[in-house]
Amino acid sequence: MTTPDINLRDLVFLIADPSSYMSMLIHGMLRGFGGSKVVEVRSTNGVLQMLTNQKIDILICDSQLPPHGGLPLTRAIRRKRDNENRTVPILIMTRDGGEKTVKLARDAGANMVIAKPMSPAGLYDRLAWIAFHPRQFVDTATYFGPDRRFKIEGYPKGVGRRKGDKAVDIAEEAGPALAQDDIDNLFNATRTGQD
Amino acid sequence: MAKRKHPEARIFAVDTRFQRLARRSGGVPREQAIQQAKGEVEKAKVGFDDWLDSQVVELGRLLKQARALEAELHSVERANFHSRELRDAAMTLGFELISFIADSLCAVLDSAATGEYHADSVDCHMDALKLARQRGYRHLKPDQVPELTKGLNRIAKRTST
Repeated sequence: MTTPDINLRDLVFLIADPSSYMSMLIHGMLRGFGGSKVVEVRSTNGVLQMLTNQKIDILICDSQLPPHGGLPLTRAIRRKRDNENRTVPILIMTRDGGEKTVKLARDAGANMVIAKPMSPAGLYDRLAWIAFHPRQFVDTATYFGPDRRFKIEGYPKGVGRRKGDKAVDIAEEAGPALAQDDIDNLFNATRTGQD
Repeated sequence: MAKRKHPEARIFAVDTRFQRLARRSGGVPREQAIQQAKGEVEKAKVGFDDWLDSQVVELGRLLKQARALEAELHSVERANFHSRELRDAAMTLGFELISFIADSLCAVLDSAATGEYHADSVDCHMDALKLARQRGYRHLKPDQVPELTKGLNRIAKRTST
């Protein structure tokens, strides 16, 4: 199946990577794809601040972003009910592309994972995948984010759908969870300019 | 993993601005976009020499500090950060040998963070890194210097056990 072309003009990218050099490389790739509006931050607090102050169209975030980590950050963005960026697409970059990490990222609410080091083709195809395969969002007591059953999406006219598909099976929450108080504190600290 | 049913789940469609705008026609065709991106990455190689030198110097400083302070955790973590940065950037730019050595150093430093600090293993990796940054070695792939790669693999394996 060929990857469709994407048009990145006018879109605002937020690259969140602790390494300024890697950030510059990713920035360059996006420029090559036709993306011109790219902002960079080096910390989870920087991400929250940017999401509070500016409209961001997609977040490309390192899984080990200091100090909280990219996955707890993803979970915080998804969980915060009054956050207007709650559904922003999140692409997690990780040095460990193993199944466990991918699953943790998925359970945190990430749209997609890309392994570092990344190639221009790998990055382009993941952006295209996010653009052309929008997923429904699921909101439960323990999870908010893209439907994690995306592997079965794309079947034509319900072929392969499970019986009783409306009753959603949600995996138990995995990984360190942030309490609502922690999420509130994270956002509040950002709003008041604290680190 | 155990599964449970959440009958109260709310499911709704989301079409973000990213998705709407990225699907517009008129974007740079995929092959052209990837070639342009590769061109941008090539441009970044110009500054790689200076950056690499600064990374190796900083790594050396942090590792010396870690050794003096008996594997002081902050220095080890900082050194590991620089090593990971080196690994990722070098691989993205096509310097596979440097990336391989940095990756192996990451494994040694990972084990130092939770266990013993193997100063000799770290020194071997730093020596290898200093060799690999030289112009004659920089463009080599790990399988072109099998003695070096096998040696580092053995060291990393011994360190992590």
